[in-house]
Amino acid sequence: MSATYLQALLSGLSVGGIYALIALSFSITFTTTKTLNFSQGEFVSFGAFVGLSVLLLLSGTFDFNAVPADASAGLKFPAAVVTAGVLVGVVGIFIFLLAVRPFAGKPGMSWVMSTIGFGIILQSLGLVVWGPAVVNVPAPFGEGVIRIFGAGVRSQELVVLVSAIVIMLVFDQIMRRSLLGKAMRAVAFSPQVASLMGINVTLVMVGAFVMSGVLAGFAGVMVAPISTASLFMGLGFSLKAFAGAIIGGLNNPRGCIFGGFMLGVIESFVGLWHSEWREISVFVLIILVLAVRPDGLFGARTVDKV
Amino acid sequence: MPLLELKDVSLDYGPIRAVDRASISVEPGEVVAIIGGNGAGKSTLLKGVSGLLTPSEGSILFDGQDISRLPPHQRVARGIAMSPEGRQVFPDQTVHDNLVLGAYARGLSDKALTAAIDEQFDLFPRLRERRDQPAVTLSGGEQQMLAMARALMASPRLLLLDEPSLGLAPLIVRDIFQIIRSLRERQITILLVEQMATMALKAAHRAYVLETGRITLTGTGAELLNDPKVRAAYLGVAHDAA
Repeated sequence: MSATYLQALLSGLSVGGIYALIALSFSITFTTTKTLNFSQGEFVSFGAFVGLSVLLLLSGTFDFNAVPADASAGLKFPAAVVTAGVLVGVVGIFIFLLAVRPFAGKPGMSWVMSTIGFGIILQSLGLVVWGPAVVNVPAPFGEGVIRIFGAGVRSQELVVLVSAIVIMLVFDQIMRRSLLGKAMRAVAFSPQVASLMGINVTLVMVGAFVMSGVLAGFAGVMVAPISTASLFMGLGFSLKAFAGAIIGGLNNPRGCIFGGFMLGVIESFVGLWHSEWREISVFVLIILVLAVRPDGLFGARTVDKV
Repeated sequence: MPLLELKDVSLDYGPIRAVDRASISVEPGEVVAIIGGNGAGKSTLLKGVSGLLTPSEGSILFDGQDISRLPPHQRVARGIAMSPEGRQVFPDQTVHDNLVLGAYARGLSDKALTAAIDEQFDLFPRLRERRDQPAVTLSGGEQQMLAMARALMASPRLLLLDEPSLGLAPLIVRDIFQIIRSLRERQITILLVEQMATMALKAAHRAYVLETGRITLTGTGAELLNDPKVRAAYLGVAHDAA
């Protein structure tokens, strides 16, 4: 029995790691620009297909209906992850310049529609290039089940969990120690005061969207071997991740990470009992948390400055 | 040639004119104060100089060059640093990191950065004790010192001080002005906006009086201290004897 729980815990942490990465990607743009990228889900799908394309090209094919079993072997998977991160990061520059910057900081919420619209365009372009197929992506370490104290875990679940933790630790250190991280936190506090330090605020905001895109792209490739890849896969992940970010506190990166993991684990445990209660439990939890703490569990109180 | 020159500068908030064709100049090494009542447009004027607000009319010359349209970060690179109204230290970052951000535009090596921070700690010993504390844990006076030290980290050719006494206890205000006087002795050029007119006029070489967005009077600090109109409007009879 305890092996079942351990298994649920590990799978929950693994998918929670994906939620946490995407939650963090929401948090980064929210803190620096006070906007959210509502096409983050499409970014995740886009990342998965860029990664998949790299895997296929490196295996000498571009046939999505016949992905070779060794397509992810060796250095091919890391190459796919890096390429997806870079390309989706570049897409982040475009969404900022085209869909966010014209509207950020202005009254109204035009950026909500413009980022959703950008996502629809991105998805349509994806459909033109890759088609609507659902593709099975082989895991870099195979499909075998690893036994940990009796609990069966898929290799990719461990890969996702470990790399999500590493990425988030690196991110945390960048934010705390590097000058770039300090500048981003300064912009998050006040773009005006940050500009008085000589910080090019626009550039920092572009950087935030790049980082956010990179995280979404990473998440897409990493999760594809577990979930299968489709251009519609991102929406579900990003909705859950957004929920995690709200629970943890959108303006607190560490809170977002916690929220993402927590959601994954809760979902996994409720799934043990009755899988149809998974979604219900998640959204009931959000409503409860927000009723008690409107800024999330770890969110800083939002104070309007004069 | 003045280091800073405002020529008929007007600044608007939407349809509301906050500063109306103001002309002021600051010579190198000078401390210049702008005094005036609440809502006279003092802070707005400084926002125009730092670039947080773009003038709708007139021009701002720094070192003879027109900077009216430059964004704030480019003005910092040219040597204009500001300690903003209400201090605005980065609350979640340590005293040390606030100072690091103050030198952002200079691209200093680690060694030079440490030396620059030490220099500020010598000027503001209280900050040294608080080095690793988040700025939010500092008292109001300490936050004001941090805001000034942070601006000085840019090694500015012109230091803008916006209401440094705001919300501080009288004893702390005295400390802050002591520091301003020591900066004056070090020949740092300062444009100071202040509601505490007596303190400001004593610390400044010259001053301007701003009334509902217009410069109405100018003179040396001593002249304005003895001007009957200024005394009546801004200094208050009760404080005069002090």
